[in-house]
Amino acid sequence: MIEKKWYPIFFMFVVTAIFSSFVIGFTQTTLSRVKANEKLIFEKAVLAVFPELYNSVKNASGIETHNAFVKNIKEPDEQTGSAYSYRIDNKVKGYAVTVKGEGFWAPIKAIIGVDADKKTVMGFAVYQQSETPGLGAEISKPEFRKQFENKLLSKDAQFLTIKRPGSPLNESSVHAITGATQTSVRLEKIINDGLKKWQESMPKETK
Amino acid sequence: MAATNLQVKKFAAEGLWGNNPIFRQVLGLCSTLAVTNLVLNTLVMCGALVFTVACSSATVSALRNYTPRNVRMMVETLIIAVYVIIVDILLKAYWPQMSSNLGPYVGLIITNCIVMGRCEACGISNPPVGAFVDGFFNGLGYCYILIIIATFREILGMGTFLGFAVPYFSTPYWDKWIMMVMPPGAFFMLGLVVWFFRTIQIEKEKRK
Repeated sequence: MIEKKWYPIFFMFVVTAIFSSFVIGFTQTTLSRVKANEKLIFEKAVLAVFPELYNSVKNASGIETHNAFVKNIKEPDEQTGSAYSYRIDNKVKGYAVTVKGEGFWAPIKAIIGVDADKKTVMGFAVYQQSETPGLGAEISKPEFRKQFENKLLSKDAQFLTIKRPGSPLNESSVHAITGATQTSVRLEKIINDGLKKWQESMPKETK
Repeated sequence: MAATNLQVKKFAAEGLWGNNPIFRQVLGLCSTLAVTNLVLNTLVMCGALVFTVACSSATVSALRNYTPRNVRMMVETLIIAVYVIIVDILLKAYWPQMSSNLGPYVGLIITNCIVMGRCEACGISNPPVGAFVDGFFNGLGYCYILIIIATFREILGMGTFLGFAVPYFSTPYWDKWIMMVMPPGAFFMLGLVVWFFRTIQIEKEKRK
């Protein structure tokens, strides 16, 4: 049979069908888990930009993190523009602005926490990045992220500035990571573009 | 059909030393350069590769008597892809952090020449158990070289090993060689390691 002309086609067809159905089955059984993981990473990042919430979930399990998210965080609505919001008794305590853009290797997606006064930064967290491990990837480490806490969004050209390591800082700037110039330049653009978009999406304040 | 002890020993010696995929066959260098900047990433990558090589080689071997010669490469690629997708999904489902660390490199195991090389060199002409053992030891041969490279790169470049601070190298006395964790550092380390192992090998052969 193996000598027949039609045999290779038949064989490929059968082999492909068997292996494909196996892979499809395997994907289906793990799909919900994969999706949940992705969602959880996002939820944890949102909580991480509000220090008072983050301390309670730092070492929490997946389900505890999810519950904390559902309890404290509201989806974007007309009141908050494009940002998620942290509310207590329906009063806005802070905004979680999602920002994204091209990093050095692949897209960076991050969240910036802004206080209810819309001026003070509460925190910064990255939930997706593929920067160089040990260099650009340090943007998701606490040492870098902590710098953003209590910074003020500047009224000048840029809300927040990422400056060269060692240079003097002001109330709206943080230090970049040594050796990760590209990541820092891109991240600065991502943050500022994202914040600008959010402010434009906010309802105009009534005086 | 079970492989005898002697055969296992032969496969082990060939894969780990005599015919080592990295410094002898010089295969699979793309991932060698890409994933060796942190030891933990390297370990996971190695595990994934050992699993893929051993299983695909065994599967190719199991189907070898039914596979027409003219479509064997397609069948091999298909089989390899199945195992790689399984590893990728497992990481995404149970170790999402690691999955994002390794990025596209898990998927790229499909194109790792070692895997197809073993399927072609051993899987297609040996019984499944032998093919599995051969693939397993070739995978290990790849692993230990990668771990050596990764250890040097992480310690010299970041002052840590598996994420733990190493005395002296993590202190301000050691000016971290940032280049070691960047792609050029991988080229230097790989060159040195291949040079080192080749030299030992040549010396050994001379004495014989």
